[in-house]
Amino acid sequence: MIKSSTLESAPPPAFATQPASPATVVRPARRWLAHPVTVAVVLVLLVALPLVAHDKFVLSVAVTTFITAIAAASLHLIVRTGHVSLGHAAFMGIGAYVSAIATTDFGLAFPVAVCLAFLAPAALALIVGPILLRLTGKYFVLVTLLFGEIVRTVFVNWTDVTGGSNGISGVPAPSAYFSNPVPFYYLALGFAVVIIGIIGRLLASEVGRMIDSLREGEALARCSGVPVLSTKVVIFMLGCGIVGIAGALQAHFVHYIDPTSFALEQSLNLVVINVIGGMYTLIGPIVGTLFVVLLPEFLRGYVELQHVVFGIVLILVMAFFSGGIADAGVLFKRLGLGRGGQQ
Amino acid sequence: MFSPAVLGQVFVDGIGLSAIYILIALGFTLLFGIMRVVNFAHGAFAMLGGYALYYLYGNLGLPYLVAAPAAALIVATVALVLERIVYRFFYQRMFQSMIGLLGLDMAIMYTAVIAWNAEERSVPPSTDALLHLGDLVFPAQKLIIAGIAAVALLLFYLFTHYSRYGLAMRAAAQDVDIAEAQGVNSTALYRLAFFIAIFMAALAGGFYAQTYALSPFVGEPQLMIAFIVVILGGMGSIPGVALGGLLLGFANSFLGTFYGSATSIFVSFGAVILLLIFRPWGLLGAKEA
Amino acid sequence: MIRNPLKAIAIRTLCAVAMSGAVCAAHAQETMKIGVIASLSGGGTAWGLGLERGVQIAIDQLNAAGGLKLAGKTYKLDLIAYDDQYNAAQAKTAADRLVNRDQVSVIFGPVGSPGALGSLPVTEPAKVLQFVDGYAPQILRNQWKGAYVFRVNNSTQEFSGPIVAWLHKYAPNAKKIGMIAPNDATGQSGVPILTNAYKKNGFDVWTDSYERGTKEFTPLLLRMMAQNVDVFDLNANAPGEAGLLVKQARQVGYKGIIIQSGGAGIDELIQIAGPLADGMLKYDVIDETLPRVKPFVAAYHAKYSGVMNGLAPVYYNAANILFEAMRRADSTDTTKIRDQLEKMTGYDAPIFGKVVWTGEQDYGVSHQLLHTFVIKEVTNGKASVKAVITP
Repeated sequence: MIKSSTLESAPPPAFATQPASPATVVRPARRWLAHPVTVAVVLVLLVALPLVAHDKFVLSVAVTTFITAIAAASLHLIVRTGHVSLGHAAFMGIGAYVSAIATTDFGLAFPVAVCLAFLAPAALALIVGPILLRLTGKYFVLVTLLFGEIVRTVFVNWTDVTGGSNGISGVPAPSAYFSNPVPFYYLALGFAVVIIGIIGRLLASEVGRMIDSLREGEALARCSGVPVLSTKVVIFMLGCGIVGIAGALQAHFVHYIDPTSFALEQSLNLVVINVIGGMYTLIGPIVGTLFVVLLPEFLRGYVELQHVVFGIVLILVMAFFSGGIADAGVLFKRLGLGRGGQQ
Repeated sequence: MFSPAVLGQVFVDGIGLSAIYILIALGFTLLFGIMRVVNFAHGAFAMLGGYALYYLYGNLGLPYLVAAPAAALIVATVALVLERIVYRFFYQRMFQSMIGLLGLDMAIMYTAVIAWNAEERSVPPSTDALLHLGDLVFPAQKLIIAGIAAVALLLFYLFTHYSRYGLAMRAAAQDVDIAEAQGVNSTALYRLAFFIAIFMAALAGGFYAQTYALSPFVGEPQLMIAFIVVILGGMGSIPGVALGGLLLGFANSFLGTFYGSATSIFVSFGAVILLLIFRPWGLLGAKEA
Repeated sequence: MIRNPLKAIAIRTLCAVAMSGAVCAAHAQETMKIGVIASLSGGGTAWGLGLERGVQIAIDQLNAAGGLKLAGKTYKLDLIAYDDQYNAAQAKTAADRLVNRDQVSVIFGPVGSPGALGSLPVTEPAKVLQFVDGYAPQILRNQWKGAYVFRVNNSTQEFSGPIVAWLHKYAPNAKKIGMIAPNDATGQSGVPILTNAYKKNGFDVWTDSYERGTKEFTPLLLRMMAQNVDVFDLNANAPGEAGLLVKQARQVGYKGIIIQSGGAGIDELIQIAGPLADGMLKYDVIDETLPRVKPFVAAYHAKYSGVMNGLAPVYYNAANILFEAMRRADSTDTTKIRDQLEKMTGYDAPIFGKVVWTGEQDYGVSHQLLHTFVIKEVTNGKASVKAVITP
């Protein structure tokens, strides 16, 4: 049985427009966005932000952005293997609950709680991964959707442990020092930088090339000696573990967690971020997070309109440049070339 | 608790549930089978069908037998515009269609909120009568829905197997290039399939609105139902829709009555997950190479 | 197929989206901002709108009467509302924005418990006055001792006892209660409290729960009927689901008493259940026929279309209590206002009448508004007051 590349439909179809195959040539936009100088500049700006902005609200939005970026980047790892998970928020919830329970019920220290928040979802990923990751594209999406719903139902019904729908309140800050906005901002920034850095290094390395080969031509990769399923499982574990850390950060930031924060809607959000930003490059989820977090800020007061705009942008991105915003450069180039040849 | 009276009622309720599930899933499977599009916006069209019925039947007071098909016709006709400007970019692109149509779903849903506000309304049923068969009680409205579902299934099957257009659709579903080489106008065919699918969705949405409730958000549960039915039965298979719908309807009725709703959800989802793992093409679907 | 013009449109659309920015309205001098956090999108929108509109009407009336005069200055009130999508993390962000950027000192909402619990860690340390309706006890009983938060409608804790006692008198032969509730925050906190109240009065109780969003209840109703319950209590169900439960219960042959002990507003329920709602009893917070309530109902329908959500009068009432407290404190300092609020027992609020604060025993702080409520009965599609209960 030939398994087709999991993200694209197999035979060249009649109405296909751009078979989205990321070329091995690094596109110009990507190159300058990931350039060390750009990264350095951005980091300096982020570090300096609290000194410039006297508004605590800005810091709060920034922390939320960092947490979302970590979660989106962790999903990106999994997407790079060719599997889009619509249940990622459930793993984030597991991390959040584990960390919250560890600190409130067992009085463990924050660092320990964060480690547990990484290990628990990773362990679950290890158990279900080998089964679920055998499924191709669309089936994997559906299975993860249902799996996420099951996990959420557990959150809601296992009242003794999770507090049910009323959640867990009074989740403490990481420590007395970090209960202030500015130190927490740096903590979140630190986590984001380190984690995204690690993911970036991983994707740029031999392992990253292995992952890309899995996605683009699984049969060929297997013939070349790539251990397909084990690689996918390891990456899946890593992705779920990292999003667990993001969940822990959120728990200790909002000081309250409940099942509604880790439902299908949030999973969808992460997928939307990856898709709009760009599924084939780490810049994608970063750009996507910015877009998804900042747009509502511009359209505050027009909540319904926000969602309508999101929807339309999703359609436009998926229809015309499935490489997402990060690949918008390609689009401009194509427009410049005129009508030729993209049918 | 497992008395004959209760079991009888469970059976009868199961039929009522299955009927609506089947109607909702029919259009969904058609779109997948022919155009390989995973219509994440299917529920949104059902919702629009509900609002159309609300205005034609609830407000204007047209007779039910006129209002119901008219409402579905209106929605399907308006949807043809969307076919031109959105759907045609996603034909045969399964993965892109999932996410892109998700965007369409969001856009339609929230436009509906802007147009009609979020409050839940209801559409009066065509009849309030309750049928009594011995100990069993059954709203007559559900019988009407069950009847229409059965007729729709039959018509679908006859259409796709015995009419020229139906055969052309099946040809296009199997291999669109060869079908075009044989002279099938795939563009027109897709439009026809789309129209039929949305018509069914809007009709189902009208029934849903009468039986349950109407708000811009009622499309979501209908979409989930369509998904599960179609996965159970097999994407693209019409007998599969009947089987999946009946299975899900009876399972929900039985499990919910005897074991409560949490069990019902766990079992349904668990069964679907197992099916996806071991037999993803569904019970009656075609194994994909 | 012409693709390029479409792509051009696509690019331009995206650019327009990227360039559109919020235009900040210039505010007039001496404006006081009043914050509102409410679920303005998603399933909880009806409640959120009810909250926002109730406060807005109170503000409009105050502004029309010349504004709020405090410490020699006159303030025109301006309502700023943010959507929390009935979600704790979003409520926190909304609270952050209101407290740190918009610098409000008063917030109405969020609706329900998750939002309230998510926003408290922001508002309490900042000493921002907050008025909520969520039933969770932790809203008042928490690490800040509920210092600046007030619950402005009865929660299950307050009304369950009196309702059960009334029911006992109304239906002395009833022995078994069946309750079906959603397994969301309201359901999970309300059902145990009601169960206790029923048991204390000698009733047998059977309960079951469902996932929020379920619309088909016949299996659960069959399950309940097999228990031979005499009274079906809809407790914490939202109007949409309550209406469906009533309708489907009657459709499946349930013949006993139906009562809803909880939830505000009855119109939406009647609309959904239709003629099958006849004979049911329901808790409600206002009696629209009372002369004191009519002006508000008229003002609401003059300004807004559609069914009035039960939270609107609740928050209109709360807003007026706040304004009076501010006048008495003659200051914008929230601690002084809070102290005045606590002393306002006996003030005649527009909807609920005399203010009574309770809660010391249950929560450690008396910030729970205890108000008279009514039991309505539906006859021929209309609700009429059957009993008035003052706890």
